[in-house]
Amino acid sequence: MDIKNVCNAQFLQIDNRIQNISFVKGVEILPSLTAWQNYPWCRKYFSRKPRGGYFIWVKEKISFPLVTCVSLTTKNVSQNLTNLIIIEKNLDVTAKGICNSLANNLSGTHIATGKIILKEGARLNYLHWHKWSHSDIVQSNYEFIGEKNSKLLYSYQNLFSPSRLSLKTNVVVKKKAQARLEIVIKGKRSKINLEESINLQGKDAQGAVYLKLAGEKGSDITGISRIYATAPSKGHLDCQGLVIDKSTTISLVPQLVCSHKQALVTHEASIGRVNEDQLLYLRSRGLNQKEATELIVDGFLKK
Amino acid sequence: MLLRVKKLTVILADKNQTLLSDIDFSVSAGQCVALLGPNGSGKTVLAHTIMGDPRYIIKQGQIYFAGTVINHLSPEQRVKRGIAVAWQNPPVVPGVKLGQLLAKVDSKKPTLSLVVPFLHRDINVGLSGGEKKISELAQLLSLRPKLVILDEIDSGLDFKKLKEVGKIIKENLLKKKVAVIIITHNGEILRYLKPEKTFIMIKGKIVCKGKNYRTILATLKKYGYKKCVQCSISPDR
Repeated sequence: MDIKNVCNAQFLQIDNRIQNISFVKGVEILPSLTAWQNYPWCRKYFSRKPRGGYFIWVKEKISFPLVTCVSLTTKNVSQNLTNLIIIEKNLDVTAKGICNSLANNLSGTHIATGKIILKEGARLNYLHWHKWSHSDIVQSNYEFIGEKNSKLLYSYQNLFSPSRLSLKTNVVVKKKAQARLEIVIKGKRSKINLEESINLQGKDAQGAVYLKLAGEKGSDITGISRIYATAPSKGHLDCQGLVIDKSTTISLVPQLVCSHKQALVTHEASIGRVNEDQLLYLRSRGLNQKEATELIVDGFLKK
Repeated sequence: MLLRVKKLTVILADKNQTLLSDIDFSVSAGQCVALLGPNGSGKTVLAHTIMGDPRYIIKQGQIYFAGTVINHLSPEQRVKRGIAVAWQNPPVVPGVKLGQLLAKVDSKKPTLSLVVPFLHRDINVGLSGGEKKISELAQLLSLRPKLVILDEIDSGLDFKKLKEVGKIIKENLLKKKVAVIIITHNGEILRYLKPEKTFIMIKGKIVCKGKNYRTILATLKKYGYKKCVQCSISPDR
């Protein structure tokens, strides 16, 4: 899907104005503040009264992806969203979340806090796209709660990074539930801080984090990925970094914390530079240094 | 003369170690030339030096292509002039499809139908030896070269595949007047390509030149490269 083409978004916000909320059978979509007012039961999921953001409650089976889009279009706008998504028992949902800046040099701020609840047996395939300009500042803090037998695939992709990005993702995985995080970020002149953690709290819970980071033009990227296992469960961390030029630093810290003797948690981590042989190979096919490097980096992030 | 390599001495960039000494040969447009030699004799270094591999530094001598010195040109500039090299051990490029690369090189449909089954696969990832050779040839053809250097294009191929590769080279390159330097270790493919000139390289030097590849192959089959080391005959025979 083209990141700019968001005509089919069921929730569309431009700067701080909600432009569209579609009626979707079996799904309730509201501004978070309205949900707070109408449904007192959902207040426990908010840390404080929300000022902005969306509430999506999937109550029945749906056969199409839910799409949300939050864009910056005006200079110096600051967004502050508190989002809540609840998926009822045994439902299978695909969601696409797009957050972007529609012009360069807007110097916008996007702050989003979200909670996503997967009730027993629910399955969520959540694709989260970010696309920013170099002058933006972005903070994203998401928490996923995977109840018994639930299954989460969360794919976050950010190939156009803001000047500063702070991304925190915390996942609680309960009995026989599964969670997989795939985070792909390309930093260009960016300061990026990442924190992911998976908490394996239930028997036979499974969790995995796959982190791919590439940085260039003075980027400073730090990532801390943790798996906590407090039950007989399995977890894996895979962190890979690619330093494209000399001016970039990537620092990755994989951390495994195991407090159950029947838990198995593993990790792999590597940071490298662009492979000289691959570079020469593509140059021997007529691509110049820049084109060859871009192709290799795109391949690394896609794979 | 399309390619003229004149008194070329090459060293390894960061070790100052001499890899090639006093290499001197030429190739005309549309000509097929064979370069034989044992492992480690410098055949691949020569191919990569002509390609513009920055790991190999030209200490002395010149490489002329179509009458111009190309010593200072980057690999991609040499490709644009018409030089293309099939790698002996091409690296994998994970996440980049072969079709994607071919489209970047030449937006037209690939010339080789044999390559179609693995266009959607990552470059050289999980390809068999034979598939890699077909992939290399398909890439070279899309570059529309004037000179190709085929580095061990026949290694690891069974009889049927060898014949297939030989046919592709004949039909798509030699018949179209593209000059071919075929680097080979065992020389079997020469029976299909019938080179006009054959060179033998040992320890970074061309030690023997001949016009009759059959005589050279027969000698190699009987005595191996040991005979070449002992042999003092270096002029054309």
